[in-house]
Amino acid sequence: MLIGLLTRVGMTDPEMLTELRAGNQTDMPKLVASWPRLEARSTPRRQIAVVAGSRRQRKRLETAALRAGWLVVGGSADEDDAVALSRLLMSTETSAVLLGADVSPGGDEKRHLPDLASLVAAATQSRPELAIVLAGGAAAYESVFAAQDDARPSVETATPATPIAPANRTMPVAGAGIDPVDPTEKGTAQAKKVSKKAGAAEAAATPNGASFAGASGDANATDSRASGTIAATNASPTVAEPAVPQGPSILLAIHATEAHEASSHVLLAPDAEAGQPAGSSLQQVLEGLRAFPNDSRLGVARSIGSLAYLFDRSVEVVEVGLQGGLSARSEPFGQGHLAVVSSHACFADASFAPVNPSEEVIDGVLAWSTMVMDRHRVMDRLNDLRLAPWGEAAGDGAIFRLAAAKAACARLVEATPELAAQSMPELLIAAGGVFSALPPSVVALALADIVRRPGVSQLSVDSARVLGPLGVIEGEAERRRLLASLADDILVPLGGLILPAGIKQGRSAGFLRLKGSAPVSEVELHPGAVQVVDLPPGRGARAEIDFRDAVRLGQRGRHFSVDVGGGLSGLLVDLRDIPMRISDRPDSRRAALDAWQRGMWPDVDQ
Amino acid sequence: MSVVEPIPGAELQPEFARVAARRVLVFSPTIRYRLGPGDRALVAPGDAVVPGMPIAERTPDAELVGVGRLIRPENGKSGKNDQRPARAANDSSQLWKNDMADRAGSSGKDRPPMAIKPVAEGRDRRRPPAPGKWWVGGDERRGKPAKGKPAVRIGGTLLFEARGQWRAAAGERHEIVESPVAGVVREARNCVEVTIDVSGAALPGAVAAGVPSRGYLDVPRLTDGELWVSALDVARSGAVVVAGSRITAQAISRARAVSIRGLVAGSVGEGELRDLHASELRQRASLAPSVPFGLIALDGHQRRPIATPILALLAALAGREVAIVTDPPLLVFDVADVPLPDLPPDWIRARSGPHAGREGRWLKSAGLYRFRGGIYLEAAVVRFVDEIETTTVPVADLERFVF
Repeated sequence: MLIGLLTRVGMTDPEMLTELRAGNQTDMPKLVASWPRLEARSTPRRQIAVVAGSRRQRKRLETAALRAGWLVVGGSADEDDAVALSRLLMSTETSAVLLGADVSPGGDEKRHLPDLASLVAAATQSRPELAIVLAGGAAAYESVFAAQDDARPSVETATPATPIAPANRTMPVAGAGIDPVDPTEKGTAQAKKVSKKAGAAEAAATPNGASFAGASGDANATDSRASGTIAATNASPTVAEPAVPQGPSILLAIHATEAHEASSHVLLAPDAEAGQPAGSSLQQVLEGLRAFPNDSRLGVARSIGSLAYLFDRSVEVVEVGLQGGLSARSEPFGQGHLAVVSSHACFADASFAPVNPSEEVIDGVLAWSTMVMDRHRVMDRLNDLRLAPWGEAAGDGAIFRLAAAKAACARLVEATPELAAQSMPELLIAAGGVFSALPPSVVALALADIVRRPGVSQLSVDSARVLGPLGVIEGEAERRRLLASLADDILVPLGGLILPAGIKQGRSAGFLRLKGSAPVSEVELHPGAVQVVDLPPGRGARAEIDFRDAVRLGQRGRHFSVDVGGGLSGLLVDLRDIPMRISDRPDSRRAALDAWQRGMWPDVDQ
Repeated sequence: MSVVEPIPGAELQPEFARVAARRVLVFSPTIRYRLGPGDRALVAPGDAVVPGMPIAERTPDAELVGVGRLIRPENGKSGKNDQRPARAANDSSQLWKNDMADRAGSSGKDRPPMAIKPVAEGRDRRRPPAPGKWWVGGDERRGKPAKGKPAVRIGGTLLFEARGQWRAAAGERHEIVESPVAGVVREARNCVEVTIDVSGAALPGAVAAGVPSRGYLDVPRLTDGELWVSALDVARSGAVVVAGSRITAQAISRARAVSIRGLVAGSVGEGELRDLHASELRQRASLAPSVPFGLIALDGHQRRPIATPILALLAALAGREVAIVTDPPLLVFDVADVPLPDLPPDWIRARSGPHAGREGRWLKSAGLYRFRGGIYLEAAVVRFVDEIETTTVPVADLERFVF
């Protein structure tokens, strides 16, 4: 592909090709091979079995695992018997087990924990490739696993077990938190290595053990031993910013075992309530266990952090892909805005075509679809979309893909209430292949449909889909430098969005005057409508809005003057309700969605 | 799965090489049988298997049972449920060896009727208890059964040991799983899986359901790419029938009723798959043995005809023994020399979109092309069969065949 691209460059601009051939390299394949490569890849879906003593605890653990991007199956001792739980552990689709309890387990779960620990430890004898996470009070049963290892009979399997991660690779965890350049984060986390032979935790981190480091990528843990138990004790965040979900950005290096090693991996993790917000510490640990070191989805979250610093604005991204989705937010804070607060959550269920779509997923797609379809038809189309994710991207297929993407975004927004509780970001980015194939105006409307918070924002789409790969660059400074030079090219401006809340029904909601380099244009605002004002990309303007009644647009008032940016779809003024109110009747709902959509996508039938 | 040769993309035009390649045949694929608690493998890694050979024993109604206390110093002299005299030895593995020998019955008359002697049973019996180990027990272990009631024997696998007592997943009823294919066992783990390296070639499918099965391949004449349900009669019992573009719920019900071993079609809807799954669950619960039945959809869920190269391949294999495998979806045939249809090198098929299922020839690349709704996609100009006019189709909707 690169050779083909260079050939085209040579045909259109020979001088540029000469510049690229800096070393007088005339052989195109050799030239391409000599270039440095940055590899990013999506982590395939992975399933974790969540086991707890009580239903209450299981729900908490499942929430943390879901936010870390795992497919989750779960059971609790008070609801399921050991055979049902064992079925979860023995399934070849399960690649990790999370056994958790409160730090001080209550009576409802404490009495089940010894049996559960024995059950999970026994499962590792049949399936040594399982990664085990003992969270909270369950870590007290780590000795059960050490004892199982000592007593393990000879392994009968002929082939080596599949490791959860490539052998001898470190798996960095980049979780929610403050940007690594923030000097305050140093020393906020600890790790300790537990010797399996001794069966007891050593108190201090060893030079050979797992270590935490800043997200600048200098995770230099060099554990050469094949297996071990790693304790990930996550300290509380050091920055007091209660309104902002955060936790220190940490790289947790977990050394996977050798592929041929029959030992299981046991990881000690914080309980499901640790961190701010609750569960974020466990989420970080589980995310590191799941994702590849060069996972492109987590790369998007890191790129967003860099963009927030570069633009000095709050940035939010909604990314939807085949293996899952990501919701991330970053914003500068502190004196001089030198640090960035970031948070993110990955969800396997936020795929636009999830595996075995549930009834809720089907309901979601039907709710956003403007086509008449029955449930079986929706399910068939979703399943086929998973088989050929780039197929049927035009015609009716595009309308269906849009509905599937909106449903996935809606699931993402619903699963991240802490982000929905924050103010509208100054820059809102849509990412993922499903958006890059759609017309810009349709993507802008989809963002306005899904992210409904009062405020003013600039909408963009990562049409080249390079935020993920650029986020894989480990050096924060290097990533920022690259993003600074590429940001204008990789982020296609969709347009500005003005989204007031509290618009009352009536003939007119007020007037908007757009003052820029062009002549002043005045637009009458109509409640319940999405109005588009021409404002081309690269142009800014000042919008003065006089509402008939008081509304909320950041703050409550009637007269507002805000700076807005242009884009391919112009300036969107969304005067629909927040949250959006549409009829529950399928016909009425479809008609309303179709009317709004046709306004932004007039040539959908052409 | 292994392949015979790398996909020959380098020799093709660069634009044509970007069309998704669909491999029609795979050779020596690895298939998997998933097992659960209470299930055991009857084969060992390296064993050669032939069609019809038992490879696993399932325990469909496995329940949690207490096995009894091991006699260890910390557990006292004997367990709560153990009626046997306490032994003085302190080597638990030795105790278990004796214990298992007792349970199996030294004379052989108490041997459980359901047990098919696995290859490694003798070795297994001498092993100390471990998770996944096969265990047999029952009423007679706890004294005389009530008058008029037969002794219940249960079998299953050990799950875990807690406080000196082992728990097992065991049940009365057991089912033997037979291999539908020939090959070599790659991995065999009680409660987990049996994987087999198949000897022979296979046709990959997109969706599979039911259970692995085997039968002779029947390719009836298809009317407009479809097979009428009435054509599925008792004369086709024992066959794997090629059913055309789509499998309906009626076709599945009828095929199962007349002991057809499997159906192969272009597509199958999710509704039909759910019906089949529910029907299987009912059949399992009814205790009535049923012949294994599997189905394969070669393209997916939405209706589209079977690709002509694949249909030609199936027609050439008609009458031979084939096997439907569900994990991964494969139609396996133990044929060394597979008759391959001749295809023009630029032959393409629309796999999705409004032209799904149509076939034709690649003419040229159309570059970035504006489609309906203002959507720009990389496109190609193709000429479908029986058409004079050319059609511009998104490249992502096309596939080419690689043997």
